[in-house]
Amino acid sequence: MSLPRITHLPSGRLLSTILHHQPLLPSIIPLTVPKRAVIQGEYRRPGQPKKTKFAWQKINFNFSKGLEGIKKHFTLLKKEFTDRWVGPEGKPIVEHMLEQNRVVWEFRGPESLREWTVSSDREIGGHSEAYLKLGRNNNTCFLYGTLSSTPPRDGETRYSGYCTMRSKQPLASFDRKKHHDWSSFNTLQLRVRGDGRPWMINVSAETYFSHQKDDIYCYFLYTRGGPYWQDVKIPFSKFFLTHRGRVQDDQHPVWLDKVVQRKIPSQSDDKTDVSLP
Amino acid sequence: MNPYILAILLFGLGLGTTITFASSHWLLAWMGLEMNTLAIIPLMTQHHHPRAVEATTKYFLTQATAAATLLFASVTNAWLTGQWEIQQITHPLPSTMITLALALKIGLAPLHAWLPEVLQGLDLTTGLILSTWQKLAPFALILQLQPSSSTLLIILGLTSTLIGGWGGLTQTQLRKILAYSSIAHLGWMFLVLQFSPSITLLTLLTYFIMTFSTFLVFKLNESTNINTPATSWAKAPALTALMPLILLSLGGLPPLTGFMPKWLILQELTKQGLA
Repeated sequence: MSLPRITHLPSGRLLSTILHHQPLLPSIIPLTVPKRAVIQGEYRRPGQPKKTKFAWQKINFNFSKGLEGIKKHFTLLKKEFTDRWVGPEGKPIVEHMLEQNRVVWEFRGPESLREWTVSSDREIGGHSEAYLKLGRNNNTCFLYGTLSSTPPRDGETRYSGYCTMRSKQPLASFDRKKHHDWSSFNTLQLRVRGDGRPWMINVSAETYFSHQKDDIYCYFLYTRGGPYWQDVKIPFSKFFLTHRGRVQDDQHPVWLDKVVQRKIPSQSDDKTDVSLP
Repeated sequence: MNPYILAILLFGLGLGTTITFASSHWLLAWMGLEMNTLAIIPLMTQHHHPRAVEATTKYFLTQATAAATLLFASVTNAWLTGQWEIQQITHPLPSTMITLALALKIGLAPLHAWLPEVLQGLDLTTGLILSTWQKLAPFALILQLQPSSSTLLIILGLTSTLIGGWGGLTQTQLRKILAYSSIAHLGWMFLVLQFSPSITLLTLLTYFIMTFSTFLVFKLNESTNINTPATSWAKAPALTALMPLILLSLGGLPPLTGFMPKWLILQELTKQGLA
């Protein structure tokens, strides 16, 4: 039996010489562990840089930051326990039942901008730009930028040109997901002063299956562009279900007990400046 | 839904429960439970809303897990003792596994996490069937089991009572409130199971009547959150006037009917000298 010979591993010097002569011996399997992107088959858009680091290598371990995080999360947990004795969502039940409207987002200072994420097609290789800043009197926010519909030259994108501002998902203690419970309400009201272009309002609810990850309920926001502010009231029954931008045949009303995000995207057919205070 | 399909599904529901009631062999009992699960799945997804499909999937996975555990436990018992009688589970291992499997089936804490989400995704009629009819078959088996570990039953009962009360505290969705109410009531039933099964049965029947009434009231008002009943006085003043009685009875307040099982359970527990 030649079993001992089979189990005898080659020496390190021999392995390193094999590595250096790899072009001459292409059939030898590389001896280093492949990167995660290769293992899991992540798709990389043409022109995007290769992912060379594993996920844990990107984390910046910091002891004091960790302590602050522990303190913050335990404080949130304690608040959750005490709020349970007060009422739903930390408010007395009478207040919950009598409220006719609820202000969910208002812009009163720099901390209110941190609740929003601004993005554009620059993430997929496009040329649009979008920025969010506070208005002159710190009472409004101003979303502005440039929309460019020139598609990126990656050989696969045919259409491009969007910019969006999206609210962040509320988080409970230890970064658990929380939801907005809007089941007591039936209309979404916005006060905007647009640039005359049509925008969209997207609402997404918590989903369970990975297939439903891109399910979004949409409706249009036609802005006047004038110097006056516009109060827009959109009943939630008007929102229609889309998946990855495509309107679905099988429509369902949006369930308001687990709303996760609200988004305001804009698209255009040519390069334009956009603004939405 | 097509009335013929609806009739077949409801017949399947009834047949499954009846088979479990009438069986003395574990395999037949398991078959009845599976029929119940499979018959209610199309009823849960009849509206095709993503949330209904989500609730159905969660329900199917939990019930299938419980059924598999039950089957495994009964096969283990057959291997260890050589017989399949439902009332002859004497070995502690299969007995514990079966208790836990049935606890998962009915949504007893700490295996309760699926119940509020599943009930929230369903319409009120299907939720009513889930809260009442679907508990009959597992309870029929639970009542026939020889309690191997009184500690396990007391832990399950106490945990359910506490979690049912705590979880329902600040809920605004009526179906979730009823789910936590179900967990709490099941906890009370389990607490007295080993001492007086007849009181468990009485509690179960009382719970069914109260839950049935509650669900029907909410269905009539088309109310799914706590704000809707507050404005239902204009639509149905008499029913709105009686609704607090039904809800307080479900909460177990004397002198309403819901207090009776709690009183009897506490009385029975005090006689046992558990301290």
